[in-house]
Amino acid sequence: MRRTLRQAFYYLLAIAVVIGLWWGVSWLLETVRGREILPSPGVTFVAAVENIGTLASAFGTSALRFLISLAVAFLLGLPLGLAVGFEPKLDRYLSPLIYLLYPMPPVALLLFLYLAFGLGEVVRLVVVVMALFFQVVVAAQGAAKYIVPSHVTAVRAAGATRGQVYRHVVLPATLPSVLTAARVSVGLGITMLYIAETKLGVLLGPGAGLGRFIEYYTFRGDISLAGVVGLALLGLLFYVVLELLERVLCRWKFVGARGGT
Amino acid sequence: MIEVDGLTVVYGRGEASVPAVAGLSMDVDTYELVSVVGPSGCGKSTLLFVLDGLLKPTAGRVRVHGEEVRGVRRDVALILQDAGLLPWKTVRQNAELALRLQGRKESADKVLADLGLAGFEKRFPSELSEGMKRRVGIARALALQPRVMLMDEPTANLDSITREHIQNLLLGLWWEMGFTGVLVTHDMEEAVFLGKRIFVLSARPARVVEVIENPGMGEPGYRGTPEFAAQVAHLRGVLGGNGA
Repeated sequence: MRRTLRQAFYYLLAIAVVIGLWWGVSWLLETVRGREILPSPGVTFVAAVENIGTLASAFGTSALRFLISLAVAFLLGLPLGLAVGFEPKLDRYLSPLIYLLYPMPPVALLLFLYLAFGLGEVVRLVVVVMALFFQVVVAAQGAAKYIVPSHVTAVRAAGATRGQVYRHVVLPATLPSVLTAARVSVGLGITMLYIAETKLGVLLGPGAGLGRFIEYYTFRGDISLAGVVGLALLGLLFYVVLELLERVLCRWKFVGARGGT
Repeated sequence: MIEVDGLTVVYGRGEASVPAVAGLSMDVDTYELVSVVGPSGCGKSTLLFVLDGLLKPTAGRVRVHGEEVRGVRRDVALILQDAGLLPWKTVRQNAELALRLQGRKESADKVLADLGLAGFEKRFPSELSEGMKRRVGIARALALQPRVMLMDEPTANLDSITREHIQNLLLGLWWEMGFTGVLVTHDMEEAVFLGKRIFVLSARPARVVEVIENPGMGEPGYRGTPEFAAQVAHLRGVLGGNGA
């Protein structure tokens, strides 16, 4: 409990520092250029409050979109990554393919994605899923390659089936690395979400996602910036959720040596 | 009863093949506890993996209780070198792992309590001392109530006090539960303390070069007797002459 409170305090401190820096830059730019360039935190806050309905709707839509993309990327990427990393045969055949496709930015394929999935919601999700999918695959593959052999022997010696080896060893052994990788890719995922919502949502209203919100209010700097703050908070939310998930699912990682005889 | 007849195990194929065991034969009577010693890397663990059904022999026959070993058997338990505990499972989950994998519902609580691990059921392996970890590994095997117990260097890398403690524990369990046991070790004193007969293996590829009868074995006090010291000295001589 104390640990959680301390963690929360550090997050609040970080937010205070960011607001302080933001305010400083905003003031500096205004002083040097003689007019408002970057709306100050106060002005942005007022703009956010005035448009809270739309902003909340945009935030909710983006959060849901990101959550679905993350879940789909995990459901598809985790089994594939684990199997490729753990089965030497699959590793030989599929790894080159993965490494070839991994660095390809889905945005570069937008035209084909439009044609394949149309202009609706699906294509926006596909872009984000594609970006996160390879992150999950590569992380799971890397972790599954270095599973301690004696852990596998331990379950095989008791007569474990292949499925049981995955359930009792491969999955739990790799979960911490995979969740860390997922946390690292939140930044990339949010960027892809922004692109998907701006490039693939020109006909939508400002409540249809934070990307669209920012784009819609391009000429109202204060409101637009409120959307950017929303995007940062969205990233923070998922970062924290993934960290909490790791603490619950990988509890063994967080216990120290207590000794004994 | 364990019967091994002309066991040969070759790893790999073609030019890259490495023979680990070559024409090894040995018999272990029911309720007998034997130890197997040999130079490091000679194929001792390979022999245990074959007895457990984890590895298929390249040639030769292995029978447990008169039946050919064709895979992991429910009445055979294997204690691994470093206990083989899964760090993400609690003490209880680790002790019940083999039971659950075999679809059995029994609890390991009594075995854990017998091994002095009561109160630690919810701890993770990282919270235990080395000696406790080994005891959890032993508990996992005992929970199966096996007729055959295979032990792969169960006291390797332990300090001498903990090692003797685990050795006494294994001896007591053998008396109490009456299993047929094969103990692989590179510790000569352990081999003499826990083996009614001691099978000395050659350097790789392994085969039996000598079987030492050790009738005095069976009591914790054996360790302090001149007979024990003489057997250890004899074993040392055999292994030394064998190029270990």
